[in-house]
Amino acid sequence: MIVTDMLLDGLFAAVAAIGFGAISDPPMRALPRIALLAAAGHALRFCLMRHAGADIASASFVAALVIGMGSLWLGRGIRCPMTCLYIPALLPMVPGVYAYRTVFSLIMFLQSLDRADGGVRYMQQFFLNATVSLSVIALLAAGATLPIFVFRRRAFSMTRRK
Amino acid sequence: MKTKQELKEILDFIARYATYQLGSGVHTSRAVRNSRRIGEALGVDVQLSSFQKSTVLTVLDPESGEALTRVAAIPALPISFERNSDLSALSWEALDEGLALDEIRRRYRTLVDKPRMDPIFTLAVVGLANASFCRLFGGDWTAVGIVFTATLVGYAVKQRMQAHGVNHFLLFAGSAFVASLCATAALRFDCTAEIALATSPLFLVPGVPLINGVIDIVEGHVLMGVSRLVNAMLLIVCIAAGLSVTLLMVKDSLL
Repeated sequence: MIVTDMLLDGLFAAVAAIGFGAISDPPMRALPRIALLAAAGHALRFCLMRHAGADIASASFVAALVIGMGSLWLGRGIRCPMTCLYIPALLPMVPGVYAYRTVFSLIMFLQSLDRADGGVRYMQQFFLNATVSLSVIALLAAGATLPIFVFRRRAFSMTRRK
Repeated sequence: MKTKQELKEILDFIARYATYQLGSGVHTSRAVRNSRRIGEALGVDVQLSSFQKSTVLTVLDPESGEALTRVAAIPALPISFERNSDLSALSWEALDEGLALDEIRRRYRTLVDKPRMDPIFTLAVVGLANASFCRLFGGDWTAVGIVFTATLVGYAVKQRMQAHGVNHFLLFAGSAFVASLCATAALRFDCTAEIALATSPLFLVPGVPLINGVIDIVEGHVLMGVSRLVNAMLLIVCIAAGLSVTLLMVKDSLL
């Protein structure tokens, strides 16, 4: 059951990554590798959150780190810089529902200013959701970028022929 | 030793090469590295510093000590990972194969003129992508179908507005509004309407400037990084504004 869940999660993440990647005009040869990275990263995050009790921010960081390392490894063969592979692969991990709730609770807060409690509940929700969204996005970017610093020489010569 | 004319031609080419990359979503340190590599291949020293809208670059001939400087505007181009890869590879080819300026220019032309991804194909895969995204957030199949349709409409609106050269803040707010408005159809069905609404404008998230901003900051190009992040934040605010209009219309059925 766990395996099916993870495979399905990976599959949807792969489709999402290819589609969101397509907006930024990636090389066709990179699409299968983007899909693979996105599937591996998202399924890993899913597994960490569901079965290892990790929170969304640290699970995202670990998944992004894996995607970053993977892009270092997979990019060399098709002469693509790391960013071309890992940016589309990270997109399915954007915390969309938290971002949405941030906007929604802000609106509800502003709409309930004249109520007795002044919409304190909504303000609380706003901060909670905004904090989660921002930390996840920052950690996603940081995690995937880390391998560039560790493996500088290799990361800088990904598109070299020899 | 280069004549002044040769040096000027090199400067012209590198200015075009560097600004093209910066305009199409390459992070700063890569654009700087690639440009310096081309300079190295041509036997000159290139130094450049970049801002959000323009780049200052100097080409120095180490033999004669002669230097030329120019400020070049960065064009607003659509983001392209394909050109990002190709232009990077071009700089290595120039260095490893010792290409002359004419040959580098010729290859640059063919790379830049390559056709981009077909817009209809992009539209279809973006729809599928957002639908899968909805599924990842735990939406049911009805919600997935609605998000697919809403995304097709929203992205088509974005493409049309882009073709008409609409201001990109209005474009983001408008597409987010249209996509989320279409997704409110989910409220009529017994399904995960909240997730459908939440997912529908997410195809607009400016992932490339967000991540490039972080890369630039940690690599020391703090000014460029911050301006990219400010830009990305403005776009996110626009998405939120578009979504808010829809939410204000339907908020009572969501509570």
